[in-house]
Amino acid sequence: MTKLLSALIALSTVFAFACNRADSAEPRALASADAQSKPATNATPVNPPIGHEPGVTPDGKAINPQGAATLEFKKHIDAYMKIHNEAESKVPALKRTDDPKEIADRETALAKMIMTLRAGAKPGDIFAPEYQPYFVKIVQDDFKLRSAADRKALVAELPKNIKVDINTVYPTTLPLETFPPALLRKLPDLPQELEYRIVGRSLILRDVKANLIVDILRDVVPTIPS
Amino acid sequence: MKKSSVRLFVSCWALLAVACLTTTQALNDQQQQPRAPVAQIGAATEVQPPVGKDSVKFLVIGDSGTGDRAQTETAAQMWKAHAAFPYEFAIMLGDNMYGSERPQDYVSKFERPFKPLLDNKIEFYAALGNHDDPNQRFYKNFGMGGKRFYTFEKKDAKFFVLDSNYMDQDQQKWLDNELSRTGSKWKIAYFHHPIYSSGGRHGSEVDLRSIIEPMFIKYNLNVVFAGHEHFYERLKPQKGIHYFTAGGSAKLRAGDIMQNSGMTAKGFDTEQSFMLVEIDGDVMRFQTISRRGRRVDSGEVRRTPSS
Repeated sequence: MTKLLSALIALSTVFAFACNRADSAEPRALASADAQSKPATNATPVNPPIGHEPGVTPDGKAINPQGAATLEFKKHIDAYMKIHNEAESKVPALKRTDDPKEIADRETALAKMIMTLRAGAKPGDIFAPEYQPYFVKIVQDDFKLRSAADRKALVAELPKNIKVDINTVYPTTLPLETFPPALLRKLPDLPQELEYRIVGRSLILRDVKANLIVDILRDVVPTIPS
Repeated sequence: MKKSSVRLFVSCWALLAVACLTTTQALNDQQQQPRAPVAQIGAATEVQPPVGKDSVKFLVIGDSGTGDRAQTETAAQMWKAHAAFPYEFAIMLGDNMYGSERPQDYVSKFERPFKPLLDNKIEFYAALGNHDDPNQRFYKNFGMGGKRFYTFEKKDAKFFVLDSNYMDQDQQKWLDNELSRTGSKWKIAYFHHPIYSSGGRHGSEVDLRSIIEPMFIKYNLNVVFAGHEHFYERLKPQKGIHYFTAGGSAKLRAGDIMQNSGMTAKGFDTEQSFMLVEIDGDVMRFQTISRRGRRVDSGEVRRTPSS
């Protein structure tokens, strides 16, 4: 029985890996959380019970572990969006205005409200631990495909050794690194209120309207020699 | 001897009187006339007037938001150019504000330098650059309607304004949809990052190109404007599309155009610049004016019958 189970695990792991490999050859590979979530939803509960091998359902069926991890990440995003929406409802709505002070005041008020509602937030609260290995792999695989000049260009706009932290405002005097569209296509989709950004070697999640760093995943981007 | 002394005395007094009168007149003029909005700039402007009677005329500005002397003088030259070439609106190619974006920065980096244009109801339509807070989209004077990417139309021309900082799936779908359903004669896109460039510092945004160029080709886009590179470059047409980089309206990266790219039709990287463009039927005429008022490039683009 144990042997049979081991064989099934091995088979399913190979199958899942092959799926991912096949996906990564596609330009739109890991693009959409939805695309990844469908097979997982059909095959397995979102959180396999503790004690079961990853990639296998309790009844021994093969699953795509990345799909399950994507779903988990999506749940964290949804939880954050609840907080964002609650914060938005508590500050004055931002309308088109010819007074820049209104824009600045609203941005600050929204950021403060979210910071308050998420007091004690820590890295990984949104970048779900289940998905973190995939973020690392996706980013690093993407960078491997880029020329040295391209890699350098992706981090050239920001000063070196810049320090950013979770639940803090993105420094307003610094530009935002352009996020490479090809890499963006490989990452799970985000609601329009959120975006991925690269800061130094970190991948951050930034709340666009609040200009707030809502999560950070450090040491994701490979070291780029100057 | 006595006569000549008297003559000298009279002449001196006459000269002094004339000088006093002239100075008084000049002072009066200065006090009575409003201060000219245009800064004193050395060279005479070489702007060519538009050709078409009912043509679409616009100004192209890129990477302008420094709030420094370079911006002020280049903006003054833009207003000076308006006398000869009365553009109706301005497109901004991003990096509308460098550094902090406090309310006073909106004044020093946009409202003050472009005051004559704003006072004369010239509309601005901005794209976002990598130095811009996306919340700029809520600022009415930037004409973005609260959107990071949007379109607008002027007679025969439809403009597709993209946020090249963050080309996500939503924006790609939107662009495909917008391009597919437009019946406009001229399809013009603009955004911050050039997908073709001879810039030494940045160069072509190949990643972005792989995503958006197929749509440009599929839907017969005519012209693309971009900034980011702090110089002017007119590229040789790429796959039938005309590309201009005009990211030197305040920032300047002198000597950054790589001579060996093989893509440059005309480059100018020794002074700040901006463009004046006219769409007249099937012809788009352009001229590029330097900070000191020199015309450094000009020409025309003909719309191909298939587009």
